[in-house]
Parts: sequence; C-alpha cells; structure tokens
Amino acid sequence: MLRLEGVWKSYRVRGRDKEVLRGVDAAVWKGDAIGILGRNGAGKSTLMRLIAGVEHPNAGRIQREMSISWPLGYGGALHGNLSGADNVRFVARIYGRPVDWTLGFCEEFAELGEHMRMPVRTYSSGMQSRLALALSLAVDFDCYLVDEMVAAGDARFAGRGREELMARRGRAALILVSHSEELVRNFCTSAAVLQDGKLHFHEDLDQAFAAYRAL
Amino acid sequence: MRPGPILPEPSLSRALRVQFNVLGALIMREMHARFGRENLGYVWLFVEPMILAGCVATLHHIAGHGLPGGLAPFPFYVLSYTPYYLLRSIVTRASTALEANAALFFHARVRLHDVLMARTVLECAAVLVALTIFLTGVGILTDNWPREPLGIAMGLVLMALLMHGVALLVASLGVLGAHNVDRIVHPATYLSLPASGAFFMVWWFPAEMQEMILWIPTVHVYEFVRHSFYGDVVPFHYDISYLGAWILVTNTLGLVALRAARPHLET
Repeated sequence: MLRLEGVWKSYRVRGRDKEVLRGVDAAVWKGDAIGILGRNGAGKSTLMRLIAGVEHPNAGRIQREMSISWPLGYGGALHGNLSGADNVRFVARIYGRPVDWTLGFCEEFAELGEHMRMPVRTYSSGMQSRLALALSLAVDFDCYLVDEMVAAGDARFAGRGREELMARRGRAALILVSHSEELVRNFCTSAAVLQDGKLHFHEDLDQAFAAYRAL
Repeated sequence: MRPGPILPEPSLSRALRVQFNVLGALIMREMHARFGRENLGYVWLFVEPMILAGCVATLHHIAGHGLPGGLAPFPFYVLSYTPYYLLRSIVTRASTALEANAALFFHARVRLHDVLMARTVLECAAVLVALTIFLTGVGILTDNWPREPLGIAMGLVLMALLMHGVALLVASLGVLGAHNVDRIVHPATYLSLPASGAFFMVWWFPAEMQEMILWIPTVHVYEFVRHSFYGDVVPFHYDISYLGAWILVTNTLGLVALRAARPHLET
C-alpha cells in the first residue's frame, strides 16, 4: 500500500514561496490503476517525484509499503554517456537484481539490438523511453509511476508496455499522469483530478472526466 | 526464471545490503563513465596519479635537492605528491558532483551522500594502488622499503576521510546557490599546497613555529605517512586523535550541510 497524508510542497521561486501541493491525501493498493488528470502546471510531475521519493514533502507524510518505480517518462534515470547495457547493469545492481537476467529481459523487450552497446545519448527519445520502461519492468516494482509521454510514445510499443502492465494487475499498481482522457481510459480503472494543489478522487472515470472538463 | 519481487521489509541487514548494492553500482558506473571501456580504460585511474607523482619526484631528484636528515628524496616526493593528489581529486570534483549526477537521484535508493562516497572510495583505492606500485618500484630499484606499509595506507585513508568531509561541504555549497564555489575551490587547492605539509617537515622549523604548523590537519597526515615509511630516523610530530577530531567535525558538518542542500537540488 502507498498512503499520502496531508502532503504539502512548495518551491522558492524568485524569493517567493510557490505552493504546488496543498494537502494531498491518497491511498493506493496493489491492483489499482489510477489516472491523475491535471492541467499543465497543476503539479502532476511534482506529485510523481514526491511519490517516487526523488523529492521530499515540506509537510505531511508518505508511507510506502510497496516498492515504487522511478517516475517513467521524465528523462533522467538513464546516463547519457553510458551504453544502454551499462545503464541496465547499473540499475540492476542498485536494486539488487540479477544482472544477466535483467540484461536479457531488456534486450528482448526494448528491441534495441546493437544500440544496446552504444551510449544512451545517441538514442532517439522513443528508444530511450523503451529502454527505461523495459528496465523498470525488469526490476519488477509493486507500483509504477508513468507519465503520459511513455504511454503515448510509439504505438506498437505502447501496446506491449500496456500488455505487460496489464498482466501485472493484481500484484502491481499503476499511477498514470495525463491530460488525455483517452489514455486514462485505456490504462486506468479509476481517476483523480489534481486542482489547486489538491487531489480529488472520483468513483468512476466518467465522473472524473466531467470534473476535469469543468475546470 | 523471473527473480522474486523486491520486498520493502525494513531491517538493518536489508538496509546494509541496499547500501552495499548502491555503492558498488555507483563505483562501477563512475569507472565506466570516466574511463570508458576502450583503450587503457581503467588503467588510467592508476596511471594518472603515478605520472604526476613520478614527474614531481624525478624533477626534485634531478635538481639534487638534498633533504635534512639524509632522507632518500625520491620516496619523499612520491609521498608528498600522492596524498596531495588524493586531496585535490576528492575536493575539486565535489563542487559539480551532485548537479552532474542529478539524473541518478531519480532512483530514490541513491542518496546524495552515496554519490560522494563512491567517488571518495574510488579515488582512495586508485591512489593506494598507484602508491603500492610506486613504492614497490622504488624498493626494487633503490632498496628503500617502507618500515610500516600499513601505516602509509592508513595515512592515505585518513586523508581521504578528512577530504571527504571537506568535499561534503563543498558539494553542499555548490547546490546551495553558490555556483561560483567551483572557481574558488580550484585555486584554493593549489594555494593550499605549500601549507598542507606536502613539501616540509615539522622538525625543520623552530619550536614556536612548529606549534602553529601543527594546527594544520593535513600536516599530521604527511608526518604520519613519512614516519611509516622511514621509521625513527628523524623526529616526527603528529597526533592521530587531533586528525580524528578534524575528520569527525568536517564530516558531521558536511552531512548537516548536505541535508540542508537536498531540497535545493534541481533534478
């Protein structure tokens, strides 16, 4: 389970505090697939970084009783000067996974062929997100944080990524941030709207979309 | 077969294992990123300090500078330059270490301190290997063998620990808005060379100056390392507990500063 209780986050911008999140409450269980809808600048990526533990809240607490992926689709996480294979080895070691198995999984899943031996900075953004997704699936987290860029990425691959994520329903949770209704409908079973620094959960998708459109 | 899930059961042994995994992965990554897999690759890690220390020592040897007390000059200058190389490499790289590695902090398991620790361990190991090769060479060629090889190694580790504390402070300052810290650190490490104790010994000075000189923590490192090499042939002045206190204070302050810097790092 993942629980957020009264999470506040502000940043200092030009000497003034800008409050991005003002008391976010949420609970996520294994098997949940939650879409988080929000306009640009609503704080979606901030929320993802807090959940992932990349940043820390100013107030409130985040309880993690499951392993949580790094936020997929925000760049980062991969090192440009290292080859794809070395990046895979690095991440496998960090999470204490068997290196050879992880490498095999990523080679098969990301379909990068010879590119695996080349520096990641030479990859197209599609290739990068394929590798990042393959890597996170290989690590086998309990909860995946996905940005819409990854889900939308390349159509053929979005299909495979979706398949893999769906196959893990029941033992893994998914949190997808997006401003696209279609994507949320494809991946998620419930949705919440992030507005004015607060997260509003809705019983079903249609209700959530209605609330989102009314913004 | 697919490996089992990563369970977040909190326990000390698990925390230690995670810490160990992360440090190991960072050290390997740092080596790949810095030296690549081609050409001499990792060998540069040891060759770089050896070339520099070797040149400095050879210059002094050729210039024929005799040393008070009749100490063999070549090992003296090798033991002057290698600890300084360690000091410089740990401190100067710290100012940009965190921002250059911002992508790493997407993995919540990687903490700021891990990145800096991996660097310190790597630099220290490189210098230890380089020095071992060097002193073995010196021993074979001139029959000058270290009296206490472990003491020399310990001296370098103490230097690394002290500089790690300084590096934590420098890295934190770099994040806390002082982007110019880089410009100050580089000249500061060069200017510190004459004061660090690399090229003088405490007993060369009159008693009242000795007291002042012994306030400088790195002087104790050099005296200890030289004592370990030459044995009791000339007077040595150092106090390991004084050095230990410096290590403790710099590292504690450094960790506090790093904590304060954490929210300001832009990832």
